[in-house]
Amino acid sequence: MAREFKRLASRRIYLFMMVIAPAFCFFFFGDLLKEGLPMQLPIAVVDEDNSSLSWQLSRSLDAIAQTDVVLRTADFSEARRSLQMGGVYGIFHIPADFAVDVSTGKRPVLSYYTNETYLLPSSLAYKDMRLQAALANGAVQQTILKAKGVTGVELQARLMPVAVDTNPLNNPWISYAIYLASILMPSFVSMFAMFTASYSITDELKRGTSREWLAGANGSIRIALAGKLLPQLLVFMVTGLLCLGVLYGYMRFPLNSGFLPMFAAMLLLVLAAQGFAVFITGLVWRSRIVLSFCALWSVLSFSVSGFTFPVPNMPDLMRWASNLSPIRHYYLLYADQALNGVPVLYSWGAYVALLVFVLLPLLTLPRLKRFLEQGRYWA
Amino acid sequence: MRDMYYIFRREFYTVFRDHGVMVFFILLTLAYPVVYTYIYSNEVVRKVPVAVVDHAASPVSREFVRLWEASPNVEVVARCTDLEEARHLMHRKEIYGILELPEDFSKRINRGEQAHAGLYCDMAALLNYKALLQATSDVAVLTNAKIQVEGLPYASKIQQEITAAPVEIREVKMFNPQSGFTSFIIPAVLILVIQQSLLLGAGTITGTLRDKHRALVPRDSHYRHAWSIVAGRGCAYLPVYFVMAYWVLFVVPRLFGMTQIGVKADLLLFLFPFLLACIFLAIACSFLCREREYAFLIFVFTSVPLMFISGISWPREGIPEYWLTLAKIFPSTHGIDGFVKINNMGATLPEVLPEYASLWFLAAVYFGLACFLYRKEIVKRKYKTVML
Repeated sequence: MAREFKRLASRRIYLFMMVIAPAFCFFFFGDLLKEGLPMQLPIAVVDEDNSSLSWQLSRSLDAIAQTDVVLRTADFSEARRSLQMGGVYGIFHIPADFAVDVSTGKRPVLSYYTNETYLLPSSLAYKDMRLQAALANGAVQQTILKAKGVTGVELQARLMPVAVDTNPLNNPWISYAIYLASILMPSFVSMFAMFTASYSITDELKRGTSREWLAGANGSIRIALAGKLLPQLLVFMVTGLLCLGVLYGYMRFPLNSGFLPMFAAMLLLVLAAQGFAVFITGLVWRSRIVLSFCALWSVLSFSVSGFTFPVPNMPDLMRWASNLSPIRHYYLLYADQALNGVPVLYSWGAYVALLVFVLLPLLTLPRLKRFLEQGRYWA
Repeated sequence: MRDMYYIFRREFYTVFRDHGVMVFFILLTLAYPVVYTYIYSNEVVRKVPVAVVDHAASPVSREFVRLWEASPNVEVVARCTDLEEARHLMHRKEIYGILELPEDFSKRINRGEQAHAGLYCDMAALLNYKALLQATSDVAVLTNAKIQVEGLPYASKIQQEITAAPVEIREVKMFNPQSGFTSFIIPAVLILVIQQSLLLGAGTITGTLRDKHRALVPRDSHYRHAWSIVAGRGCAYLPVYFVMAYWVLFVVPRLFGMTQIGVKADLLLFLFPFLLACIFLAIACSFLCREREYAFLIFVFTSVPLMFISGISWPREGIPEYWLTLAKIFPSTHGIDGFVKINNMGATLPEVLPEYASLWFLAAVYFGLACFLYRKEIVKRKYKTVML
């Protein structure tokens, strides 16, 4: 073990992989997502009417915190050009003679356009413009009803007979940061744990020191691996605790399960990443193939884990493949424990799945030992 | 010029001889975009499993549930007698949302008071929440209009319409009419695949040279000038990547039926400086690779942050200024911007002039940087030779 600590300390690349790069990622995403939900998204209002009513509409659209009317024009193609250049995410169109048509009951058309290429901001802008259009409708109805002598509770019921109360459970702010950062940051921990484990083993092969390493462990591959991976595990647990600290301490994301279940999840995630790396190393041993496999799979894991696009809506093959990613199971644990705080018993499946990853190397240990004894690299 | 041709030939040969490099340049670029697009190929979230808790159990509430169930976003898998039972299902991940209609739901409507419907959503995946919210508010609007019209038994049809909605509302979704996930995230992924695979490939080549010969520049009279080495290497990658980029940016989107409304010639012209910038960036960055394996360890993780600061997956308005400035030094940022504008929003080349110019500028800068680094290497070699 002392030998392994020395090895880890002696090369800069280990420092980079185990501390600098993960810490950079935590800092980056912590800083990037600190607002939680993007505010002040630019939209354009095309006002061909220019009446007090249309001004009122665009003013109240501007007053919503999430949207910012940066362009007010009477020319639709000007707004369209701005939309195409990415200057605004949506266009709210008020047609000519809007106020007159409303008061004479001609049902004018309010339309709004969103640039769905930028799905996230445009769906936020869409929500606000839809609300604004509905409010415009309500305002007209209210005027008519008031003129007919309807007031108070009755007025409210006539305007909106059924109101929907939405309860976004455990994330009432609908913060995107919570659901993005909670998975992105641990994913980096797992990615680097995987890299470090597989690089440190294949490096022995490459430098021809693998026999010496085995001899140090009295020829036992289990002791040799434990000696190599334990120091890494310790370092990555510090990194993992930093990650949890940033998420639940500094950024104050909901942690409804208490600390222990998430700590266990993080520990298992690092172990599972190492297990996965050793398993692959035992399978193919060539450093570049091992590393490319780990790299490709951990980058894919960001998507396959299903925190951005739900797994049940993926094609069958991907749905199945998602189970092969440790991050997927960590995500399920996070959703159960940190976010929803359900009793731990409900999430035993994900814990067991991570454990399976930890035990995976047992399958390829004899093969790995053979490779190490031969100690060839440039075959 | 002759030196350049010589280096070009050798480098071209390396690309196709070294399996590690082949994996990045050819296999990765062939397969990755396909796998990625395949993950998102269903585009939208449909049939989110939910439970209904209908305390009212009246014709009005049943009608509300029926309409809700009819929405493509929702699939009612359970009807529960109380919230506790539904919560249990939610903990078991069998449902992601609950609709609760209170006991006085229809009573209040008939009395002419406002009724409430409660929607509870699991927030682990925001797309589920979005789908449920949209379905519910659509049903509410429909139900409301119906109730409002019922209150006017003697009105004409037109009068009814005006009462229910004095203003007609029309929504238009542009460039991605189904609000699909593929057309949103994949263009950025495609561009990033090109840049990152180049970084990995060039890094591996440099790392291998250092592993095998302990030096980057062979003792060879052809390797006299830095510029000819950089240009030679660049010329070797360029044709390979033109072919690969055609696959990534033209064939893959077509295979999956994504938005493609750009002019092909414009896109190809735009591609040229983008590839050059990426190639020289890759050559310059490959100096970081002291060993063959370093490329993975250093470059792979950058893909995700690069994706976020490009302004596609996270809106530019929400990104602090300094990160935006940092993003400008990477070709992918301008590449994604320009590609999305041309390919998805039908911009022409003059309309993406800022991005186009930035890419040429970056290509020049990285060419200079790569030359500078090679010069240092050549000087080091000369010094060594003299010492020997």
